[in-house]
This record gives sequence, C-alpha cells and structure tokens, in this order.
Amino acid sequence: MNADPIGVLTGSHYLDGDHSCSEGAIAAGCRFSAGYPITPSTEVVERLASRFPRVGGRFQQFEDELAASIAVLGAVWGGAKAVTVTSGPGFSLMMEHIGLAAITECPVVYINVQRGGPSTGLPTQPAQGDMMQARFGSHGDYRLIALCPNSPQECFDLTLRAFNLAEEYRVPVVVMLDEVVGHMTEKVVIPPADQIEVTPRRYTSKKPGDFKLFEAAEGSLVPEMVKAGDGYRVHVTGLTHDERGYPAMNVVAQDKMVKRQFAKIVENADKIITFEEKNLLGAEAVVVSFGITSRIAEKGMQLAREKGAKVGSFRLITAWPFPEKQIIELSKKVKAFVVPELNMGQMSLEVERLAAGRCRTIPVLHAGGTVHNPEVIAEAILEAVR
Amino acid sequence: MSTTNGTTAAAALPTYTKKDFESGVDPRWCPGCGDFSIINQVQKLLPSIGVARENIVFISGIGCSSRFPYYMNNYGMHTLHGRAPSFASGLKLSRPELQLWVVTGDGDALAIGGNHFIHTMRRNLDIKMLMFNNRIYGLTKGQVSPTSELGKKTKTTPYGSADYPFNPPALALGAGATFVARSVDLEGAHMGVVLKSAAEHRGSTFVEIYQNCPVFNDGAYTFLTEKAVKAEAQLRMEEGKPLLFGKDNRKGIRFNSQSAELEVVTLGEKGAVEKDVLVHNPRRDDPTIAFMLANLSNRPGFPTPIGIFRAVKLPTCDDLNWKVINSAKAKHGDVSLRKFLSSADTWTVE
Repeated sequence: MNADPIGVLTGSHYLDGDHSCSEGAIAAGCRFSAGYPITPSTEVVERLASRFPRVGGRFQQFEDELAASIAVLGAVWGGAKAVTVTSGPGFSLMMEHIGLAAITECPVVYINVQRGGPSTGLPTQPAQGDMMQARFGSHGDYRLIALCPNSPQECFDLTLRAFNLAEEYRVPVVVMLDEVVGHMTEKVVIPPADQIEVTPRRYTSKKPGDFKLFEAAEGSLVPEMVKAGDGYRVHVTGLTHDERGYPAMNVVAQDKMVKRQFAKIVENADKIITFEEKNLLGAEAVVVSFGITSRIAEKGMQLAREKGAKVGSFRLITAWPFPEKQIIELSKKVKAFVVPELNMGQMSLEVERLAAGRCRTIPVLHAGGTVHNPEVIAEAILEAVR
Repeated sequence: MSTTNGTTAAAALPTYTKKDFESGVDPRWCPGCGDFSIINQVQKLLPSIGVARENIVFISGIGCSSRFPYYMNNYGMHTLHGRAPSFASGLKLSRPELQLWVVTGDGDALAIGGNHFIHTMRRNLDIKMLMFNNRIYGLTKGQVSPTSELGKKTKTTPYGSADYPFNPPALALGAGATFVARSVDLEGAHMGVVLKSAAEHRGSTFVEIYQNCPVFNDGAYTFLTEKAVKAEAQLRMEEGKPLLFGKDNRKGIRFNSQSAELEVVTLGEKGAVEKDVLVHNPRRDDPTIAFMLANLSNRPGFPTPIGIFRAVKLPTCDDLNWKVINSAKAKHGDVSLRKFLSSADTWTVE
C-alpha cells in the first residue's frame, strides 16, 4: 500500500541524517516512539516529538533505554508502528529487548547512531564498533536485519525500508548510522506519498480460536498478527513457546521455534540483502565498506586509480544478513578485499571468513573518533593489487 | 495511531461469568500458594466491571506472580524481569482505551524494576498494578527480596539480612501514585472490595497484596492473619470511618498535633473518645497522612493498615497527551502539503 499522505514531507529538503531518519519513520507510518536522550542520536526523537502530535503520533521520553526499548514493543502489540533511537551505551541496555522482540517476533525498528566506545567512549565522535553487537548482542540465538545508510538520503530511504522489512518478516530491524552520517546535512528528496510503498501489518483473517499467533502463515515462514482489543485471546511470552504462544519448555518446541525464526531470515536473504557495486569489471581489488567509511573509501579508490590500481567497490547496505554469496563470488575473481571500517575488525572478519583463503583480506582499521585518512585506504588498495 | 478498534459499547457487552476469564490452563503454583486466592478474586471481579474481555490486557514480568496472564482468558503479555510497567506504558500510550493490569512481585517491581515502577507511578498513566508481596524470591527458591525484613535469613543472607526493606505503599505514595492500597491473600472479601476500587480508578493504581509463599517464606503474614491476633494487628481503613481497631474496636489512631505523629489510643482510657480518632479520608490531595499511615506497617505497638491509603483524581498522562495531540492537529491541520498544493485552481501540464 502507499504511505499515508498525512505527515509525508514531499519535496527537496536540506536535512541531517538524524532528522531524515525521523521523516523516514513518519513516512513509513510510525506513530509511536519512546526514547532516552543520548548523543549523537537525540535529534531523531526531538524531531519526532515535534512532528508526531501533528500527525496523531506520540513520543514519550522514558526513564532509561531499558524502558524505552520495551515500551515500543508494548505499542507494537497495541497495533502501532514504533521506533526507538539510541547510541552505544543505550544500545547495550536495549539488547535485552531486542532479544524479546526476536523471540516474540515483534516488528519494531531500532536506530543506533554509533559513536566511539567501549563504554561511554566518545559521545560526540563517530565509530562503527557496534556492528557485531547489532548481530549478536542479545543472548541466545536469533537473526535480525541491520541496515547501514551512508547519507541523509539513505537515512530516509532505509528507515522507511526498515519498517517495511520489520512488517514483512516480523523481526526487529536495526538502522546502523554513525555520528557523521547522523550529523551531516545534505539534500534529501522525499517522494509523494503515492510513490512511497509501505508494508502494512499483516493481521490475520482467521477467527479467534482458529488463529495461532506463532504459526507460520500458509506459504510463508512468517506468522500473522493480531492486536489487543480485536477479540483474540493471545499469550505472548519471552519463554520458549508453542504456536499458540504458550510456554513450552522442551527440546522439540525450542528446536522448532528457533529454527523457523532463523529460516525466515536465512531463506529470504536474497530478498532482504541490498548492496551497491561499482567498477567491478576487471577489478583486481575490491573495497568492501559501509556507512560513512564508504564515502571516504571513494576518495581512497580515486587516489589509488590515479596510481594505476584496478579497484572496484562493494558497499554493504544490508549489514545483516550479510551478502555471503556475493562476497564468495567476488573472492574467486580478485586478488584481495580491502575492508576499511571504524573499528578494530568486525565486518572484515566476515569478509575474511567468506573469502576462505581464495583471496587476501586486508582490513584497514581505525579505532574511531574521526574518519579514515583516504590516503591510508589508497595505500592498502595499492598493496592489494601489487 | 488507532484509538477506535476494539471498543465495545457498554450496552453491547455480553454477560460474563468468572469462567469467561479463565484460560483453562492449570496454574503451576505450589499447593497452598497465595496466588490462587488472588487470581480467584480477580476472575470474580472482571465480569462486573463493564469492560469488554478483549479490551483487558494482563502484563507481567518474571517471577511466580508473572505467570498470571497465562491463566487469564484475556490479551496476555508475559514480558521481562522488572519491565512490565514500561511495556504497559507503551501499550497504554498507543491504545488508551484498553484496560491494563500489571501483575508483579516484590522482586520484579521493586528490585530490578524499581526505576520503572516509580516513573510509571509518577506519570499517572491509567495502569493498574497488583504487586504480590511474599517478601522472598520464590521462583529462584528462596533469596532475600527488597521487602524481606531486616535480619531475615535466606539462602543469600544465611546470617540474616542487613538491608532495610522497602515499604511498598510508602514508596508508591512518594512516587506520586494516585491510588495506593493494600490487601491480604487470606482476606478474600477485603481484597475483592479493594480490587473493585482499583478497577474503577483512572490513573496510576498500586495495590500491594500480602501473599504467603508456603514453600520459601511460610507464615510471613501470620502476625496479621491468625485469628487470635487479627483484630489487634489489622487496621482496616474505610473511607469516612474512624480508624478503629482491636477487640470490639476499642482502639483507634489519633493524630497528636503536639508531636505531629500518629498514636494509638484506647477508647475510654486517659480520656480518649471516638471523636479524637482520625477519620479516614483517602481523597486528600496532600498524601502526608496517607504516608504516615503507610509507615505504621510493621511498627512495634501499631497495627498494620489494610485498605485504600490514597485515591485522588488527577488528569492522567493519556488525557494530557491526547490534549496536546488534538491541539497540534487542530493548529497544523490534518492536511498533507501535496493535497494543499493541488487544491483549488491547480492543473497538471501534460
């Protein structure tokens, strides 16, 4: 269906990444947000707090990120589309409820504007150190979706897509910004509402009594939903549960529940994964990058090309699930991957695992606080093609 | 945000019985657990409150008490340890027409969930919280809780607890709850009356229910429930009535205006007469007297108050929020920019 025109700020704007996320959420039909102030993400909820009442939405500031990240789940089970927004320290607190969202298959969006860590780290400066936390941060086994915008425009586009993916697969979706993308201001084009595709929540048409909240819909791995007040008696629990949602603490129920929840991501990976390829034809080295680092890598590649390097680019737009097939295929054709990232080696581990020795993986690591010097990336590319 | 779904006009409500609120799943609480008596009272109450069954949501955290939604035939959410009030807040803010009950315990609400508890109370969201207080961690088999008494020996305090406990109604009052009450698992009729008032209150509602854990803290409330001591140990607070207790109601609570303290008087002794005794008024805006009454609990020489400490009307967080939303909508209009631009004398150049 198309976006509700109420709230869609159609037109060309000069927006920073944080504010652009807010507009993406509103365009997606999000009408509830809970949050706790934390730099450098607060602008997202500040804009929502101001914009929501005009479109019938509601922002509530909570006592901490624990509360905010579960209040959004409450709102979702009441029928709202909901988002919470944070940065590193708050993201750590939210892990508990990302796990609850995963096991209860709750469609919800988390936005993390990454800053330097560990701990309080560098509140006002960028890093990309939460990439593995986004994937594995909550205890137990689960799969979610994580997206990495590299511009304010993509902050709009991918926040919108995050809501659509959340509804499509009944999973938590994380939008992983970094401080620079969050705070950089660029042109953002918001299309007319009738050109914005929005995935509505899939409510069941089955009758109370026939409907099971955790039974995959026909021809799908994803169950349908109901909301409170619709006349369905449902039970939702963080315990391992059967298809009715009742606690079922045994090996069979655990196996069935966890495996289906994995499968709905793994088997749909091709539909979920997006990436951007450039200059791969004849490339001897490929730079794999994401977020703000991909913008710096552009300059690095330009410098290396001036010195004769044949280098292509593979930009991750979906971080999780990871584009495994594409990396494997590329590893058969190139001499090396060059992986710049603002952390001490996270996505480069994934690239190296998939390259499996078929080609070299050269991480270009940076502890964060600023972006890479493009010349360092250029040098790594030159080494890769040597 | 949906506010219209699921509401059923009062006239169209089916006639419910207690059975309509039972899920049919056999409760897995230990034999003799006080939780049975509480769920029985709640299921007895719900047919009479005039709310459609599907508009009632039970939300819990983690602990023995938190299995409650599993046994209720409503929309049930078994969430995480301490977080039920926050989950409920999100649901209530997006769906104000639903009636929300949070079921929690002393560990869930006051230890891991203490922060959420006070903030939920202060916001005056229309959420009803039932806290089963057994003064022990039961599900994990017998560790000290935030309401365990000083000196209590448990598995994690084998030499006796050196922690002072919370006084839950005093804490709720301090946090700004607009309805604060206490009842006891063994006093079914009393609990029924308290729960009915809780159901009728709009705003942050806190009911502490003294609940015996027969396995890990048996007899925690015999000081209050044993027939032989009951009359002397219980102070039954009833609106508009003097705070009398004891055999033949011979004793009363008096406010000593010299020392600014509550004291026990015996009628007919030292010139004390019934008109000296404090008349219970839970509707005072100022919670000071309610706080003083709450602090009589477990105090040597004083009875333990049960009943409603405080019940005051204040606009709820929902009321205030929707007022903001409605005025913003009116001011900025429910019209999209595109609709506005393409209205009146506009045309498309092909």
